[in-house]
Amino acid sequence: MRVKPAPLLAAAAALFLGQATVQTTQVYPLWKKNYAPIQGDYTGLSPEHFLFALAGFRELIAGILWVRADAFFDEGNFDAILPIIWLVTRLDPHQIDVYATGMWHIAYNFTDEGSRSDRRYIPSATALGVEGTKNNEHTYELFFETGWLYYHKIEDAYPESVKWFTEATKRADMLPARRNILNNALQRNNEVEKASDYLFSLLDEAEKKLKESGEFQNRQNRDTIEQNYDNLLVRMAQRGYLAKKGGYYDTWQYDTKPPFDVGFSAQVTVLEPRKIQVVGTWNVLPVGTRVRIVLRDADYPRAIPAAMEWYQGDRINLDPPKDLTFMQDQLFVRNQRFNRTIDMSRDLTMYPFVSDRFVVEFYYNPRQAPAYIQDKFGWNGEGMTDANFLNTEVRPGQRVVYTKMEFSRDEILRRGEWADKAPVRQTSNYRGLAPSQLDREIIRVPGILAQPPAGQ
Amino acid sequence: MSAILSIAKTTLGEAIRRRVLLVILLIGVLFLVIAPGLEALSPRQEATVLRALTLGVIQLTSAVIAIVLTVYLIPNEIERRTIYTILSKPVLRWQFLVGKYLGAVFALGLMMALMTATMLLVFAVMKGQTSVDQLGGLARVPVMFFVQMSLLAAVAVFFSTFVTPVVNFFLSGGVYLVGSVFNSLFEAFADPSRGDINPVARALATVVQVIVPNFQNFNVQNSAINPGQVIQGELSYTIGLIGYALFYIAILLIAGILIFDRREV
Amino acid sequence: MSLAIETRDLVKTYKTRSGQTHVVDRLNLRVEPGEIFGFLGPNGAGKTTTIKILLGIIYQTSGQAFVLGKEAGDIQVHRQISYLPEKPYYYEHMTGLEIMQFYASLFGIKDTEHCKRLLNRVNLGNDMNRPISQYSKGMQQRVGLAQSLLNDPQLLFLDEPTGGLDPIAHIEIRDLILQFRDEGKTVFISSHELSDVERICDRVAIINKGEVVAQGALETLLVGGRIEVTANGCPAELADRMRDGHNVVSLNQGRLIVDMPDDKNPNDVVTAVQSAGGEIVSVIPRRKRLEDLFLEAVSGDDKAKGRQTISMLGSGGNDAVANGQAAPAKTQDTKGDNP
Repeated sequence: MRVKPAPLLAAAAALFLGQATVQTTQVYPLWKKNYAPIQGDYTGLSPEHFLFALAGFRELIAGILWVRADAFFDEGNFDAILPIIWLVTRLDPHQIDVYATGMWHIAYNFTDEGSRSDRRYIPSATALGVEGTKNNEHTYELFFETGWLYYHKIEDAYPESVKWFTEATKRADMLPARRNILNNALQRNNEVEKASDYLFSLLDEAEKKLKESGEFQNRQNRDTIEQNYDNLLVRMAQRGYLAKKGGYYDTWQYDTKPPFDVGFSAQVTVLEPRKIQVVGTWNVLPVGTRVRIVLRDADYPRAIPAAMEWYQGDRINLDPPKDLTFMQDQLFVRNQRFNRTIDMSRDLTMYPFVSDRFVVEFYYNPRQAPAYIQDKFGWNGEGMTDANFLNTEVRPGQRVVYTKMEFSRDEILRRGEWADKAPVRQTSNYRGLAPSQLDREIIRVPGILAQPPAGQ
Repeated sequence: MSAILSIAKTTLGEAIRRRVLLVILLIGVLFLVIAPGLEALSPRQEATVLRALTLGVIQLTSAVIAIVLTVYLIPNEIERRTIYTILSKPVLRWQFLVGKYLGAVFALGLMMALMTATMLLVFAVMKGQTSVDQLGGLARVPVMFFVQMSLLAAVAVFFSTFVTPVVNFFLSGGVYLVGSVFNSLFEAFADPSRGDINPVARALATVVQVIVPNFQNFNVQNSAINPGQVIQGELSYTIGLIGYALFYIAILLIAGILIFDRREV
Repeated sequence: MSLAIETRDLVKTYKTRSGQTHVVDRLNLRVEPGEIFGFLGPNGAGKTTTIKILLGIIYQTSGQAFVLGKEAGDIQVHRQISYLPEKPYYYEHMTGLEIMQFYASLFGIKDTEHCKRLLNRVNLGNDMNRPISQYSKGMQQRVGLAQSLLNDPQLLFLDEPTGGLDPIAHIEIRDLILQFRDEGKTVFISSHELSDVERICDRVAIINKGEVVAQGALETLLVGGRIEVTANGCPAELADRMRDGHNVVSLNQGRLIVDMPDDKNPNDVVTAVQSAGGEIVSVIPRRKRLEDLFLEAVSGDDKAKGRQTISMLGSGGNDAVANGQAAPAKTQDTKGDNP
């Protein structure tokens, strides 16, 4: 006995309308909000991976690929990891670890023989971090990681770290201990009062929490914040910040005045092709000063003095421009001088030197200085000056030391007329090093020696 | 109704004894048990990857089981002539078809429950995750997979009323693939900000979007793999999704009945 | 009371690549209530197709089919009929009792005792809790019979019920079928096991290539036996003389066997043998058997259609003549046309 088709067809039609309605009005919009994958091309996937990914096993493939990437980490095969990281974030944009590991890896792990990072990758790292925050707004982690990248790796872009750390602290899952970092970022960004307000609010919160439960963790957290707050208040007094606010800075003595002349001078010699020696002076006795040196194409795209625009949009380009050169290093000051040989001859892919002209830049920003130096220089370099190279333009509103020198390609590569003559550039004030500055191994720390050295 | 349930029960009894299904199930369970062996990763990565892997294994295994189980449902009955004995009883064909389908869904549910239990056990025993929240969050995902696989089984049952098992295997697999990817494609097509898409193509995409059974909707594992995400309207999504699946299953069964009713067996 | 089964010009056509094949061709059947009806024909004659139409499993191309007075496939009729397919397969993981309970549930019967009673009736009382996979063929067939009795049917369709069974099982099944008749049930047996059918059927229909070639009560159809004359030392020309179209003649090293209709006088043969110098060995009158009827019916059909006989019986009716004539309607005309 057969069924009558007409009522069934009518029922099917009604059901069809029903499913179409549910799909278009209820399911699809929520799916789009919650579960839609990132648009993009998946061309890096092998055919079977691609098929599986299409079939709804994106997370599975992402997991398998990530396990694979781990093996490459062990082998140190970093080049193989980049495409995997990129694919995994496409397959599963919610795998926070992949973003976090990925940006750290891109920013820190590509180094030359002298452990200098390949700065050309940094815009990719920031782009990955920014993308990660967009895809994972629910958690503080990638905001924190992106902020940390600016704070620790890039330095000198403190408005960005403040911005990302602020976003991170807005997330409920931000770990209490990590909240303190915004205080540091604010100070480095010369937002001292904001830092104080922030620490005060943290302290307030921590005390409330301690009242709710006296457990060790809450007590420890409160104590840490209190200590940070104390430190900040002491520094605000000591560095004359409060005095300036109160209008009595001129009346009393403060560590930050008068401004201290760092006496910067430098000489750059191209010893061999792609190998330079940098020597110079820096009149600061305490150890801990690092002067940034950059050697880059004179026309490096989107370069700014002694840096580049570290965030260049959301495009994650894991294949950095192979024909561009951007070397960044630090000159460590000991005994008021620095002397460093930078060998770029063993990393031709990182330092191709194909441009015609290159610049060497020297840059010092007291905002990056450790606290004990900042105690003298102030948060924004109020207590620092340099007779020749103080600059308030390369970083508007900031007092930094900056100068640059140009080299030609032939000079760097020791070609043509430079084949047997070492090119030398030096600042006009360079006078060579005093004999006392030449013993390299002894670091003289004032006040620690029982007897002052002979002759002083 | 009792006839439908009897047929379903018998189908279940047969399905859980089919060697090929048991082998697939065994492989799936085996994978679940050895998955925590991936000790190389950091603790949190490991948990994420492990969740992704185990849920993926459950989904993949279930999909294979759903298809292999259902493509043979009707053809086997015809080949072994059991269908004649049943249809000569006061059983209507639609009752037979619905009974077979329900039996397949029961079997699928049983097998998926086994895999889910294995997964929870693995996480509880090997990873020390015993909180109801953690395990509950994980267990919710296979429930949606089950709804998804029930829909897939309905697709396969529908095709089995007029094509051979081998053809059906590829047809159902193909529908699963298309249904798993179409939302993403559609998203690209329907994006109003993209001016380069022909309005006709967009309209066509909308039509296909409402016709293709959408399997991608059910892939809700991401929030369980990467916990802490804010899922908007989760309850209403779940309800809508189950409703969507039931509508679609009913459509497929009705279409299957209409074909099967006229089919010479 | 209406007929148990009636078909009127039933046609079932399958489309094939070379055109249409008539599997059932203008079939007219009439089965009276309470009789055992044999439905005979060689393999591929359309027997199972006809049964499937009567059960509503497949649908006729044209014509009508009625079962218990209602159109074939009526679900209410299915409560009063049952069907035992040829070589059935049962869900092998189930025990005999479980299979019975399953089929019972399809009728809405929940009575386990009823199932057990029926299994006892087919002598499976001791094996009802073993899985079907351990059953012998005969036991499986008996489970089939038991399940076909679940609803106490008025009409049973048995498709080759003794096919492939050993002689003892044959007898058991045959006895069961005879019991059904005593209970007033109508039994419709499709078979090519002619000896079984001959012993139990009241009436038969023989079909070939989808058409009924003979239909009627056995006692009517089997009127007209044969006489077999055997002689030794006969010359070949004598054998040739004996072949007149009604006799079946064989000659082997002078031993002549003439198989002739019983309306002919065997004396003519005896005289001819003696006058040719042969020696009569025996003259045996033989009652007409279903086998003969079958051969006649099938071979006649083949002659009329000008086809080569492909009969499972092989030996008979192979003097095919291609005459290209259109086949006459063969449905009812053989019924009772024996004097």
